[in-house]
Amino acid sequence: MGEHGHHPAPPSPVEQRVAALQALLTERGLLPEGFVEEVTRRYESEIGPMNGAKVVARAWVDPSYRERLLADGTAAIAEFGFGGAEGDHMVVVENTATIHNVIVCTLCSCYPWPVLGLPPAWYKDPPYRARMVREPRALLAEMGCPLPHDVEIRVWDSSAEVRYLVLPLRPAGTEGLTEAELAGMVTRDSMIGVAQL
Amino acid sequence: MTAPLSLAGLDLPRRNGELAFDAPWQSTVFALAAAVVDHAFAGDREPFRQQLVKAIGADPGRPYWESWTAALEALVSTLPERARSSSSVHQAELG
Repeated sequence: MGEHGHHPAPPSPVEQRVAALQALLTERGLLPEGFVEEVTRRYESEIGPMNGAKVVARAWVDPSYRERLLADGTAAIAEFGFGGAEGDHMVVVENTATIHNVIVCTLCSCYPWPVLGLPPAWYKDPPYRARMVREPRALLAEMGCPLPHDVEIRVWDSSAEVRYLVLPLRPAGTEGLTEAELAGMVTRDSMIGVAQL
Repeated sequence: MTAPLSLAGLDLPRRNGELAFDAPWQSTVFALAAAVVDHAFAGDREPFRQQLVKAIGADPGRPYWESWTAALEALVSTLPERARSSSSVHQAELG
């Protein structure tokens, strides 16, 4: 798309392919009317890292919830009503003073959609997918998350079967904050494991 | 794992509010895949995931949503001419 919206460029080849797919699926009765708009709306407004942030904040303030979350991520996350596509088997991995967890999908782009939304562009790109496995410490440092050498890094390779979510360390000095205020501090990147709070 | 890959040139997003899609065709093709999974594969995402792995592996440097498009084209080409009826009324299980 150029700046001059009133002179739209002709559709690119990939746009034409997508339009052809859309027409074909409509013709075959596989695409209900309004489906595309509804899916887009939900992913842009309802499903995203704000969901995961609520889960993390609850785990910080409620020890019994934290215990349930680490024991059965899928069930504990479902307590918030989050679940469904790409969230069938969620495993939550907890950061500690000596262990830092980070998630990746080496084969494609598996990602815990119900709690984080759609993955960021870099998560899907080959450099991240390859290097996070091969040299996580160097890559994390490059991404602004340098870790002391005595902190063990655990890299979790997502798959069709299991999706991971990182439970970041609660920042120091937040004792007086409410659960909602804490949720506001939790970033997407901290739940992927490429940032600390 | 071959030559060192660099993140140089990638604009690493740091914010939560990043838009999931850079262009309307990307959100469209995302939703089209969801429709096929729901209405032609009864919610089983594995066939699409396998096509996506294949598409990314076939051309690792290709932009992600173009691989996604190729994967969906490949998956749709495996459907019988007369697609299974979408008589079930279940909603997209997308959340």
